[in-house]
Amino acid sequence: MSQHATAMPPATEMHQEPSYLAVSNVTKRFGAATVLDSLSLSVGRAEFVSLLGPSGCGKTTLLRLIAGLLAPDQGAIEVGGRDLTRVAAHKRNIGVVFQNYALFPHLTVAENIAYGLRAKGVPKAEQAKKVGDALGLVRMEAFADRAVTALSGGQQQRIAVARAVVVEPSLLLLDEPFSALDRKLRETMQIELRHILRNLGITSIFVTHDQDEALVMSDRIAVMNEGRIEHLGTPSEVYARPKSLYTMEFVGQSSRMGGVVKGSSEGLVEIDTPFGLVRAPGHFMSGSRVIVGVRPEAIAAGEGPAGEYNTVRGTVAEVIYFGSRTLLHFQTAQDGDRLHVELNRLPDQVAPGSAMTLRWRIDDSRVFPAPTETGR
Amino acid sequence: MALFGSLFCRIVLGLVIAFLFMPILIVLTVSFSSSAVFAFPPPGFSLRWYASLGNADSMLQAVWLSSQIAALSTAISLVLGTLCAIAITRGMIPGAKAVATFMASPLMLPGLVLGIAFLQAARDFGLRDTYTTLLIAHVVITMPFIMRTVLASLSLFDFAMVDAARMLGRSYPAALWTVLVPNILPGFVSGGLFAFIASFDNYPVSIFLVDVRTKTLPIQLLNQVEMSPDPTVAAISALLILGTIVALIVCDRLVGLKRMASI
Amino acid sequence: MTLARDNLTMPAAPVSRWQFDAKALIAAPGLVFMALAFAVPVLMLVGDSFVDSEGLSLAGYRKVLGDPYYIGIIGNSLQLACITTAVCLAIGYPAAWALARIRGVWQVILFALIFLPLTVSIVVKTFGLTIMMRRDGIINFLLVNLGFIERPMRLVFTEFSLYFGMVNVFLPFMILPLYSVMRMLDPRLLDASASLGAGPLHTFLRVTLPLTMPGVIAGGTLVFSISVAAYVTPGLLVGDRFMTMSQVMAKAYLNIRDFQLGASMAVIMLVISAALILASSYLVRAPGGEKR
Repeated sequence: MSQHATAMPPATEMHQEPSYLAVSNVTKRFGAATVLDSLSLSVGRAEFVSLLGPSGCGKTTLLRLIAGLLAPDQGAIEVGGRDLTRVAAHKRNIGVVFQNYALFPHLTVAENIAYGLRAKGVPKAEQAKKVGDALGLVRMEAFADRAVTALSGGQQQRIAVARAVVVEPSLLLLDEPFSALDRKLRETMQIELRHILRNLGITSIFVTHDQDEALVMSDRIAVMNEGRIEHLGTPSEVYARPKSLYTMEFVGQSSRMGGVVKGSSEGLVEIDTPFGLVRAPGHFMSGSRVIVGVRPEAIAAGEGPAGEYNTVRGTVAEVIYFGSRTLLHFQTAQDGDRLHVELNRLPDQVAPGSAMTLRWRIDDSRVFPAPTETGR
Repeated sequence: MALFGSLFCRIVLGLVIAFLFMPILIVLTVSFSSSAVFAFPPPGFSLRWYASLGNADSMLQAVWLSSQIAALSTAISLVLGTLCAIAITRGMIPGAKAVATFMASPLMLPGLVLGIAFLQAARDFGLRDTYTTLLIAHVVITMPFIMRTVLASLSLFDFAMVDAARMLGRSYPAALWTVLVPNILPGFVSGGLFAFIASFDNYPVSIFLVDVRTKTLPIQLLNQVEMSPDPTVAAISALLILGTIVALIVCDRLVGLKRMASI
Repeated sequence: MTLARDNLTMPAAPVSRWQFDAKALIAAPGLVFMALAFAVPVLMLVGDSFVDSEGLSLAGYRKVLGDPYYIGIIGNSLQLACITTAVCLAIGYPAAWALARIRGVWQVILFALIFLPLTVSIVVKTFGLTIMMRRDGIINFLLVNLGFIERPMRLVFTEFSLYFGMVNVFLPFMILPLYSVMRMLDPRLLDASASLGAGPLHTFLRVTLPLTMPGVIAGGTLVFSISVAAYVTPGLLVGDRFMTMSQVMAKAYLNIRDFQLGASMAVIMLVISAALILASSYLVRAPGGEKR
């Protein structure tokens, strides 16, 4: 995850493609609360896009709107050029994998998968063949006649995926499908599910609050906050070049320091921080209050060439050992902000209290306007 | 000492069960008695009172009427109550808790008070037809039983299944029918059974609503016990007890007695 | 399978942010029916109790509450309910305790044996009771043969037969709520109390009874509220010698046609049962009480 966005295609290329799923200016209110605020999103064919955000950010509401389980107050939703805004959920041909899978406990595994085919009136013989194929896809052939209640969490998830894709939906929605699995199984299933969906070439929207999940699975990530999309981009863009402080802090770890802009020139701003002068790419008015953010793993020990690097001095406040890496809490003499630093190898004789010099590339610094006192 | 306490409790439990069954066993015994007077011990064994049931027209009519009223009112309550319970559970209507209490409250009112209220209202509204009045009243009587069991079943039901069914191509009503109904069937069976029994055995409401030609079974039995008690009453009672036991066993096979009793 | 709740399984619109949804109409038939067929008649009955042939009047209440005869009848009903509840509690508590402590198949069988009489019509059971109470019935047969009395005595239409019958009919309503609370009681609590040196009586008064109080309240409320309104059992077992509110109400409507008297009596009974339900829900919620 420490690789930088060097070889990735610019996000703009994706936007050029005629969008397959188009959500335009959708607003949804529940009573006085505006859950989605004129939100737009376009997704290309066969793309895998994650909606990432904390609970209450509107990602699930957006998913339900696309599914047709909720109706928007304003705006339109199109899939493959067809306007679905007023189409009932059961006529949309959109597949959903639910958080707890919502398998039907009164039906067997095979009957669960056949449910959608029966609803669509697919002939019996064809049903059996498709159910068999779907079971093969998720490697669950031996379980056709089991009760779904007898399956493990991972097996239930495979059946939920098989049930959703067997009807060949035009779009697949996944609502936190890994949250019921333990950590180990989750990682295996993420890779497996990505394989299956890539092979099927199915356009997928994936809701999660887990940044690692989003980074691993997605072609693009939409970071959501308070009913809006804060940043839409590839995982490496979102991680390495977050467009907002919110995105920077929600996706991955970050170190931040507050400061005041001293001046700017040639696309670089110079900021006065408790750690000294720090430079970063960007344009800001002199005197404006800003936050400088850096990824902890972008910071290294020792000085660097002044033209390319920021160099700061301070004291080590705390050392937290993780095995493959070590986390340092680093602060200035005045005891202000702490900088979180992640080092793969700890320099000799570093202990709480020892003085230290750190450096990071100017290009790795992000500057954002400081949040006002009252919040937004 | 503790051992003594537990032994004491067990003896009480045994006596309680004997005590509870006494009147029931007496009715069964009397129904097989050869004598028309209720002497104990009975002088001999006979099935004559069962045979005479064939001629007890008013009794058989009452059985038929009660069965119809109980079956119809249970069915209506099941449909109306389940739909209402879904809306309550899904938070579709405001004040869901108050609505649930309201729907279940006829059970908390004294039966006679309800009966009088129905009688007055039927008069005031000019509702003359006894059958219709009885049926409406019995829907009110059976509703709480349905509400309690169906609400309890629905609280355990994952409504994402209904959404899943819709996304797989079923309309909302079809999704409820194919996914919700089979999954809360135990609640329907136990709620329905209790509702049926409550209607079939009801006297305090029915007593104000029946007329000479339209009498439910409990009222017919009550009249007969008051006027001219004879072992025919015992014979029909014995058959009722048998029917109840059969129904309980069937439902126990379907859903388990313990679960039914836990409403 | 219970994790973060910001997901599709959440209600689409939680109650706190309710908005009209066309699907809410599925509740309409049931609600409208119950409003018309249940709420309206009960409210009309309450209204009727304040009306006589000349318009608004409290004559019904004046008649009921100003006449020692009717006061006595209300007293009879309350006395009947109090004694029945007390006896049911005294017998039902140890029986429910034994039922809750027995495990395995026997528990299922004994539970069924307590439960089954509930499903038998009260009319049938009371009919059986009247047969038992006869001079040549089983009670006298037992009493004579066991040597308690020399000659059969008259039992029907005595208060003894009334309470015997009432307890017989309503006892399961006491045992089942008690049982469901006692079943949840962790027996280790009693061992803990004993291991701390508490005697059986002390354990009972300080541990068992407080913990089973919700069952006592629930069972007591249930038995009281149905026995205060009992009609068939008192009617057949003592008849006119022990008039109750139910008897008066039934007579007022079915025989003497004094509707205001009946309505007033009904409203008084309604008030008694409403007070009881409120009191019990308050008691259950009070400290030491438990969930409902």
